[in-house]
Amino acid sequence: MTARLLPHDRVAEFTERLLREAEVIAPRRLETGDVFYGPIAAAEEVAWDYGTAVEPLKRFLLPQRERILRFSDDGELRVEAEYDERERIFLGVRGCDVAGVAVLDEMFGGDIPDPYYLGRRARATFIALSCQQPDPHCFCVCGDAGPFLKRGYDQQWTKLPDGMLVEIGSEKGEALAAAHDDLMQPAELEHIAARHRLAKEAEKLFGDYHSYAAAAMRKLTTNEVAPEVWEQASDYCQECGGCTFLCPTCSCFTVTDRREGPGGVRERHWDACLYSCYAREASGHNPRAERADRLRARFFHKLSYQWAQRNGRHACVGCGRCVVGCMAWAHMAAMSDAMRRGVMP
Amino acid sequence: MNNPYLPKLATIQAVKPETPDTTTFALKLDDAAERAAFKHKPGQFLELSVFGAGEAPFCIASSAHGRDDLEVTVRRLGQVTSALHEMSVGGQVGIRGPLGNSFPFDEVEGKHALFVVGGLGLAPLRPQIVDIYREREKFSAVSVLYGARTPDDLVYKDELEQWQSQEGMTCLLTVDVAANGWTGNVGVVGTLLQQVKTDPASTVAFVCGPPIMIRFVVQDLVSLGFGDDNIVTTLERHMRCGIGKCNHCMVGDKYICKDGPVFTYGQMRKMMEFEQ
Repeated sequence: MTARLLPHDRVAEFTERLLREAEVIAPRRLETGDVFYGPIAAAEEVAWDYGTAVEPLKRFLLPQRERILRFSDDGELRVEAEYDERERIFLGVRGCDVAGVAVLDEMFGGDIPDPYYLGRRARATFIALSCQQPDPHCFCVCGDAGPFLKRGYDQQWTKLPDGMLVEIGSEKGEALAAAHDDLMQPAELEHIAARHRLAKEAEKLFGDYHSYAAAAMRKLTTNEVAPEVWEQASDYCQECGGCTFLCPTCSCFTVTDRREGPGGVRERHWDACLYSCYAREASGHNPRAERADRLRARFFHKLSYQWAQRNGRHACVGCGRCVVGCMAWAHMAAMSDAMRRGVMP
Repeated sequence: MNNPYLPKLATIQAVKPETPDTTTFALKLDDAAERAAFKHKPGQFLELSVFGAGEAPFCIASSAHGRDDLEVTVRRLGQVTSALHEMSVGGQVGIRGPLGNSFPFDEVEGKHALFVVGGLGLAPLRPQIVDIYREREKFSAVSVLYGARTPDDLVYKDELEQWQSQEGMTCLLTVDVAANGWTGNVGVVGTLLQQVKTDPASTVAFVCGPPIMIRFVVQDLVSLGFGDDNIVTTLERHMRCGIGKCNHCMVGDKYICKDGPVFTYGQMRKMMEFEQ
């Protein structure tokens, strides 16, 4: 599992080869200038220079709307599951997003495995692109999720003057590199040293946003967050759910049935714990009727030690999307600071 | 990979109205092998599909002993329950389960099993009452204190009559509002506690009912000397998956579906720091 160097003039050929093997999901710059992850048809579509994609990778593993069952009733009732069996390679994706997948793995793995998520996950290969150009709202350094990953990737590429340094993080990543070794060269020690130098430099490029995760975790865990924080935050939060939909690790879903002909389908959809109906019961009883209670439940789930222990890590990777998406001031950076200080900024 | 979201088909065997808005459905899994494999304990629940309407969780209201069907007692409230109430014998539904943990049984041996129950809260406790009475000699006493809003709202009326007359069991009923012909107790169920001898050191209280009733009964029990470990309750929350994935039933760091639905008062108190 040795690192290799992929010269810049061979990146396109490598990408074209990937396209012959699987669906390739990569960052693409739209006409608006925004970068989104999506399927590419040709190597030149990949945007190699970008900060953060607008959305994380979540929708490729947990679609916003997903059919989980089909039932037919033509005299005899039958129920069948449907699975997505596409092989996918995620090329040039950010470390924070790959780290987010690790949180989803815990959620959908565990003692009761979720076959829809895990089926897609097993067919996914992640080639991360280390980040040398964090956006102003980024704080992955507070989330153990970048700008260069230490684990969790199949391959991690770092852009060096001579080419892409290809670090191998798994057997899958090694097999993929070995299959295309004719395009690669062995990495030299100077390449490895350059990568570590660049990582140090990248860490200095972060902006004003921080997640005071450790302080917030301590206070949430011991129930010491001032109640006013939630009351104040509930005046800010507009309950749009944007933070949860943009979050790489938020994975709450709801399930609905829809009739189609003589049968129908059962679908699951993203849901948001901030919505007032989230915990409302059929009787009308709502144990989290107050927005403040919902905000508290959300941040407890994301940051408390209790949940970090259950999930293997806390559930913020510092991608900063909630900072961008929140139309108020109830995002992770602001809220973790408020939890720490006992007052909203 | 086993798919925990895939329901097994079952057919409605019997439909028995309990109250004006609540009905008990007896369901039997269609497949004999699935029937044999479905082993549930008192306190566990299932996810019931009415295909096209959706899926919702219901406690299993029948004991596993001596029968190969399952009963659910369902109040007509929302989309799924309304669709189920439209169904009749021979109709097909889907079942996932059994889900969740179960009531303590061996831990209650040698003790007084005291049930304090409100309204439809009798549904989850009924299999526990039946199973405990089935092995009556293992317990020092069995008491069922049951209250409902009106006499019409009492569920399992035949069984209540039987429990009231059967040897070795105390079964007391009360209603909040008496109606014509009711000659029994009137008042909230907590008032019945005065009519039974309870020694907290050798009693386990099983409490289930509407949230407000649970709160007051727990207060009564605590004032009698009950504590964290000898009050047991079963909780419900809006849930979708029943297997700890959708996150809807999360309270603090617990899932009602997976870590519960049965909790001790001690566990419940910790969770109540998060919610009423």
